[in-house]
Amino acid sequence: MHRLFPEKLITVITSEVLEDRLVALVRNRGASGYTLLRARGAGSEGRQSGLLWFDSNLLLKVILPPERLTGLLDDFSALIAKGHHLTVFVSDVTVLAHEKFERPLAP
Amino acid sequence: MSQLSNLLIPAVLFFGLGILARLIKSDLRFPPDLAKILSIYLLVSIGLHGGFELGKAEVGTALASILWALALGFLLPIAGFGLLIATRRVDALNAAAIAAHYGSVSAGTFLTAIAYLGNQGIEYERYPLIMLAVMESPAIVVGLLLATWSRGRVTSAQGGAPGSGGNGQVGEIVREAFTNGSVVLLIGSMLIGALASEKSVDALHPFTTDIFMGMLCLFLLEMGMEAGHRFGDFRRVGLVLGAFGLLMPLLGGTVGVLVGHFGLGFGVGGTTLVAVLGASASYIAVPPAMRLAIPEANPSFYLTLALGVTFPFNVVVGIPLYHRLAEAAVGTG
Repeated sequence: MHRLFPEKLITVITSEVLEDRLVALVRNRGASGYTLLRARGAGSEGRQSGLLWFDSNLLLKVILPPERLTGLLDDFSALIAKGHHLTVFVSDVTVLAHEKFERPLAP
Repeated sequence: MSQLSNLLIPAVLFFGLGILARLIKSDLRFPPDLAKILSIYLLVSIGLHGGFELGKAEVGTALASILWALALGFLLPIAGFGLLIATRRVDALNAAAIAAHYGSVSAGTFLTAIAYLGNQGIEYERYPLIMLAVMESPAIVVGLLLATWSRGRVTSAQGGAPGSGGNGQVGEIVREAFTNGSVVLLIGSMLIGALASEKSVDALHPFTTDIFMGMLCLFLLEMGMEAGHRFGDFRRVGLVLGAFGLLMPLLGGTVGVLVGHFGLGFGVGGTTLVAVLGASASYIAVPPAMRLAIPEANPSFYLTLALGVTFPFNVVVGIPLYHRLAEAAVGTG
């Protein structure tokens, strides 16, 4: 039986134009890594076809130790307060080899 | 009938096909990155081509073109902002974001105008190409300034200290406006075209010239599909804003004719192109910049207006109309 460790998975869906800012926030909050995917879909702000430069969404996934969660959520809340459209949700996950998630991102 | 035959060029017809494909709900879809690849090709190709011609240009006229382009880029969004506020249909932040699109330019419309002039056998000056590159960015800065001013007014009306709102990183956004990918590609390709030897540029002829119109057709097919999609959003925009999407290009086009002929002394071809620059609304450089800088503004307003109203209007009605206006101006001047 493998030993699994509890972590938090944050998922963010937002406009691709915010990529640099999100990555900077994730880095500043000491996350060990992140995964970015391009995303398509629709919501209250209309359709995101993903076909044009301005019209793509991204899906960001970050796994963090629970104690680092609040800071990153504060940063995302600040972006939402400025008017940016972010869909953010947090899930409880369990991971193998939790020490991987303790190391900071390579510069 | 002659008006109609002006539109019967493959590029415009493919644009119509794109719209039709969406209206009949065809499953036609481009691979996600094709539109971006086509944009990159068109900018590089027109840049190389124009840069080579501009290598032989007069410095004085080139400088005058840059100054007029800056003036148009800074003043057109202010005029648009005033008109939008007068409609009372949008708040100041939405007005700033929409106005920024109308001060910047659409390379797709410009290239369609070149195809149109080529079809008519009309020669044109190459200087509007420099103006195309120059006009991409200033409107973004004006949009930012208008938004900052509007936020300041709202905050002072509420009796609070002026906040930074959505553009706390103004310097960064201004830098992004001027280092935008399409600006770098266009100016870079123009410099390469101007510096390269004639023989080496000839070797690129198949790339820059032979396949150009075919690539433009594919690009406009894709843009037609995008425009067709946006028609569905028209209800969100409403009639008054829709009318702005038609009125603003007419205003910009008229100013462009005056600048092109009376300001810069261009012939019918060059004047038509300056009019198209004045009339067109950006859908490549400005939308992402506005999303970052004015997140409070609703993207479906500016995207629907730029892509769903003004772009089709310019391609189908505007370009022949600006051509007629340019002929009238050149005839009188």
